[in-house]
Amino acid sequence: MSAPSKRHVPLLLGSGKSVAVSRGKDKKVTLSLTSMIDMFTILLVFLLKSYSADGQLVTVSDQLVLPKARMETKVELKLEIQVNNSVIVVDGDPLITVTPELLNSGNSIPVLVTRLRDHLEYSRLSRGTLTDDDMKVNIQGDVGMPAILLQRVMASCSEAGYVGQNLAVIKIIASEGGDD
Amino acid sequence: MAKAASGRSRTVKHVPEIDLLPVMNLFCCIIPFLLFSATFLEVVVIEMAATEGISSSGGGATANLMRSEEDRLQPKIIITDQELFIGTASGSAHVAYAIEIELYGDMIISFPWDSLSMKLEEVHELLTEAYPQIDFRKITVLTVEETRYDNIITAIDLAGAAGFDQPGLQVAPTASVTSAMAAGGGN
Repeated sequence: MSAPSKRHVPLLLGSGKSVAVSRGKDKKVTLSLTSMIDMFTILLVFLLKSYSADGQLVTVSDQLVLPKARMETKVELKLEIQVNNSVIVVDGDPLITVTPELLNSGNSIPVLVTRLRDHLEYSRLSRGTLTDDDMKVNIQGDVGMPAILLQRVMASCSEAGYVGQNLAVIKIIASEGGDD
Repeated sequence: MAKAASGRSRTVKHVPEIDLLPVMNLFCCIIPFLLFSATFLEVVVIEMAATEGISSSGGGATANLMRSEEDRLQPKIIITDQELFIGTASGSAHVAYAIEIELYGDMIISFPWDSLSMKLEEVHELLTEAYPQIDFRKITVLTVEETRYDNIITAIDLAGAAGFDQPGLQVAPTASVTSAMAAGGGN
């Protein structure tokens, strides 16, 4: 006896009908979307609350932890200096390693002053003139760095001509409390 | 037509269902867009006043603060590795002692910040009442070299909340800070 051809294999699901219909119940199976709409509404409200038209202007390095504060001054796009206990990074470029000798000598850091002066000169040449905004710098410091390192970096900025120095911090949301 | 025993007809009311599919489609478009634009950590800045140097003897800071009456009255938060003070060039007052707390397995120095907050508000109120012609917004954080950055930021933040929103920073060795306090008549 020959094996049945494909043509003789019974079709279990019927022609274009769902399982439920083919079993003769004649009921339409509908997916209830109400609970999903509820969930999406909650998600939508949360996302609308954290929506920012400006986007993230500053990229925080994963090598440092910024301190928290209740300040309200918005961050602007400026030259970024990132400082932690091991390295000073200017505009994404690792510039100098932090050593005990660096902390113990002098007021400003010569290498940093030179780099900042070059950047200021480049800005002046490319734009023709310098505004007050061009002479500002954002300093991202790690929570654990010593005060003397911050002072050296700030003194270097002043010496290079950056009169405005902003310290970047993470804003504390009101509901978060201030005791952390 | 069949009637129930009560005599009322059994007509079934069909409540029209709202079609939720277009709403779902809209949500599916909006949610990815909002997810990309959402910011969960907001970075803000503290605008610092120009830093002033301090000589190794500590006398330079006091001399600088004597330049005018406003400068003389300008408050200072003094952070050492053991104590927290607040004062002006005329004198300083103890606020709190340092405490050691454990953070990620390390012992670090911190301070009871509530005490500083209260003192700062008190100082701002006293100064504003005594000298209404002067707008007291400047404050200097004078600290020793080893002070952690987060302690400095917390002090600046509390000062800003109390009304001193133009902070400056001075860093000096412990001996210099002590002598600066002595020159200012610490009490």
